[in-house]
Amino acid sequence: MNVFLIFMSAILVNNFVLQRFLGICPFLGVSKKTDTAVGMSLAVIFVMVLASVITWLLNGVLVLMGLGFLKTIVFILVIASLVQFVEIFLKKVSPGLYEALGIFLPLITTNCAILGLALLNIQNNYGLLETIFNALGAGFGFGLALILFAGIREQLDFADIPKPFKGLAGTLITAGILSMAFVGFSGMIKL
Amino acid sequence: MIFINSILLLGALGLVFGTFLAFAAKKFEVKEDPRLEKIMEALPGVNCGACGYPGCEAFAKAVIKGEAPKDGCLPGKRQGVPEKIKEIMSE
Repeated sequence: MNVFLIFMSAILVNNFVLQRFLGICPFLGVSKKTDTAVGMSLAVIFVMVLASVITWLLNGVLVLMGLGFLKTIVFILVIASLVQFVEIFLKKVSPGLYEALGIFLPLITTNCAILGLALLNIQNNYGLLETIFNALGAGFGFGLALILFAGIREQLDFADIPKPFKGLAGTLITAGILSMAFVGFSGMIKL
Repeated sequence: MIFINSILLLGALGLVFGTFLAFAAKKFEVKEDPRLEKIMEALPGVNCGACGYPGCEAFAKAVIKGEAPKDGCLPGKRQGVPEKIKEIMSE
């Protein structure tokens, strides 16, 4: 039950993008089209879950060896390797998606959402199972925010909006309104 | 002791991930047109976008597909880039 709560709270209540301000860069960058948003979400979910599991295990090793101060660099190494793998894999399997994601794919490496997730798992003293579900929730939450936002932006392209709101300014305002909507979930789950 | 431990741990991790990535790169290798690399070498590589493509690589790919003119690279025109590209394409 606790695991399920962690999962739901990571998706809705503590949504990484809209409530924690993490991972804004790809959120704004890859949300022009729904299909690239879906591809990006899948890549992020994959990296988040694997990175969380590996960093959780490695943290145990680090603590055992008394090297807790190496956390950040070790975690970044893990994340960078995984992202590189996703890049190699996507280039082979889906060149179209690879082209569409462009610079944002390698940018997952320095995405604060992923490092933030790995550090939060440690900070909250989660066990392995809780870590996996927190990562899944965070990944799906990121995907949910990204795909919702991409859908809105696709619709906005056809809408008749005043000139000052066109382009990036309007996008940021839309993101703010979406975040406001997610505030409605806060306080729903108390952990 | 803590120094040696840090070095050993990070070294081992680097080795593990490096090997894994090297294998992955071999396994999922994408065969690219050998002309692409040659054209990339011939181009100035400033990614100026004056040719109308996002970067030199996109231009080189378009040339191979026959979509872009061989003399489309503006900064490379005086350095004889179009001639080099023609040579590579006629190989």
